[in-house]
Amino acid sequence: MCGLSGILYKRAWSEGSFHVGHDLVMMLEPMTHRGKDSSGVTIMGEQIDGDLVIRIWTENVQDIPSVAARSEETVRHAGGVMRSTSTLDQFLRLVVNYEGEVADLADALIKVPGVAIHSIGTTSEVIKDIGTPAMMDVKHGVGEILGTHGIGHVRMATESRVDVNHAHPFWAYPFPDITVVHNGQLTNYHKLKRMYEDQGHHFQTGNDSEIIAVYLAGKLAEGQGLKQALRSSLDDLDGTFTYLVATKDGLGYAKDQWSAKPLVTMETDDVIAIASEEISLRGVFAEEIERIEPQNSEVMTWLL
Amino acid sequence: MATIDAAGLSTRELNIRLKDLAAKGEEITVLNPNARHNLGVAIFNRCKIRFEGSVGYFAASMLDGPEVVIEGNAGWALGENMMAGKISVSKNAGASVGSTMRGGELFVGGDAGARAGISMKGGVLIVAGNTGFLTGFMMQKGRIIICGDAGEALGDSMYEGTIYVGGSIGSLGADATTEEISEEELLDVLAALRGHGIENKRSFTKVVSAKKLYHYDTLERLEKLAL
Repeated sequence: MCGLSGILYKRAWSEGSFHVGHDLVMMLEPMTHRGKDSSGVTIMGEQIDGDLVIRIWTENVQDIPSVAARSEETVRHAGGVMRSTSTLDQFLRLVVNYEGEVADLADALIKVPGVAIHSIGTTSEVIKDIGTPAMMDVKHGVGEILGTHGIGHVRMATESRVDVNHAHPFWAYPFPDITVVHNGQLTNYHKLKRMYEDQGHHFQTGNDSEIIAVYLAGKLAEGQGLKQALRSSLDDLDGTFTYLVATKDGLGYAKDQWSAKPLVTMETDDVIAIASEEISLRGVFAEEIERIEPQNSEVMTWLL
Repeated sequence: MATIDAAGLSTRELNIRLKDLAAKGEEITVLNPNARHNLGVAIFNRCKIRFEGSVGYFAASMLDGPEVVIEGNAGWALGENMMAGKISVSKNAGASVGSTMRGGELFVGGDAGARAGISMKGGVLIVAGNTGFLTGFMMQKGRIIICGDAGEALGDSMYEGTIYVGGSIGSLGADATTEEISEEELLDVLAALRGHGIENKRSFTKVVSAKKLYHYDTLERLEKLAL
C-alpha cells in the first residue's frame, strides 16, 4: 500500500534549521498500517559549497572497506577531493568536494562492483532501510538530523521485492537533490523503462516507483520547470499514483486522474505538512487545523 | 452521559467500550480521536455518540441505529455500509463517503472527496459543500443532495437513485442524464436541507440514470434459447 509524508518549514537554512528528521519519523510511525517492510527519508538541509553527500549501499557484505576504498579512488580519479567517509552496516556515506558534472561522477561510481547509489546531493541525503521508521531512527539517527524540508515513506511492497535498494525515496539519477516517494502502481512501467534505457538512462532496481524519479530527471534535463514536469506526468504515467518530490528548493506533489491514492495537506504561516493520511499530520500538528484534500489530476509545488 | 478518552486505548478497546455503553442507550463523548481509523464501527443500538476531533477511515461504518456527530474531518469511507441512524461530520469527508450505505442520513458540513455515495443502496447523503470525481458511481438506490459543485463523471454507471446538485457539474458520467425536477421533489430536498440549517439553496439539477446501458432481463442466455 505505502504511506507518504512531507514537511517544509518556510525558511531558508540561513534563517534557522528544524528537526525535520524527527518530524518525518513522527509522521511516518503512525502510518505503519500502510506498510512496514521498509522506510526511508530524504532530508534537505545545509548547503556547503562544492561539497556533495553521496549515500551508497553495498551488497558486498564480506568486504565493505574495499568497496569504500574503491569508491574513494573513483572519486579522486574523477577529480574530487575526499572530505570524509563513514560506514554503518552496509551503508557508506561519502562527503566529497567536487566541481565537475555529477552525472560523470555517478556513472563512474556505479561501475564499482557492489555499489548502489541511494543519493547524491549538495544539500540532501536519502536514508532508507528495511524495517519500520522507529527502527530506521534507532539505527541511522534520523531523528537528530536537522533541515529545512524533507519527504518520507513507509513501504508495503506490491510488485517488486523487499530489500534496501527497493525502498523509497528514489533518487532522480543523475540530478543532485531530486528524490521521489510514491504510493500506487504504474502500469506502463516496462514500456517507459525500455524507452529510457534506449536513451541511456540508468536504472538501479526493478521497482516501478523508480521510473518517476527517472521521468522527472528527464523532463528537468529538457529544461522543464518542476511544476510543468509534474503536470506532464499526469498524462505520461499510467496507473495509480500519488507521489511527492523533494528538490533543493522545495516540495511538490502529483495526484493521478482517478484520485485513487490518498493525500492530505495542512498549512500554517510557518510550515506545510503533506501525508497520505491525517493521522500522519497529527505527528506534527497536535491540534485540529484546516486539512485540505487535493483532488484528482492535481499538482502543486512549494518553494522555500 | 459517558466520556471516553481515546488516547491510550487501542482501537479494539475503544470500540468494545462504545458498544457496551451503546447497549445501555448512553450519550457518549469520545475525546482525542486523533484521526484514527475504524472508530465506532458496527454499533447497532440507538444512542448518541460525539467525537470531539477528526476521525480516520471507516468511521461509524456498519452503523445500525446511533446518531453520530464528528466535530472535525473524516477520512475515507465514513459511514460505509450504514443501515440506519444519522451521521454528521462538521468539516470535510474524504473519498468514498457513505460507500454502499443502505439507510439513514449522512450529512457532510464541508466538502466530500471522490466517489461520494459510491454504490449507495438507500438512505440519503447530503453534502453542504462540493463533491469530487465519480460521485454516485454505480448508485443503486437512495438520494444524494449536493449543495455545492459536483466533480467530473457524476453518477457514472448509476442504476437507480437520484442525485441533486445545487452548483455546477464537472461532467456527467456514463449513462447519467439530467431530468426535470418536480415541485414536490424540490420541496423534499429543501426540507431535508432545512433540517441542517441550509436555507440559501433554492434550485437543483436532478441527475438520474438514462438506462441506455441496461442490457439484461431475468433470463440466462440458454434459458432464453430454450423458450
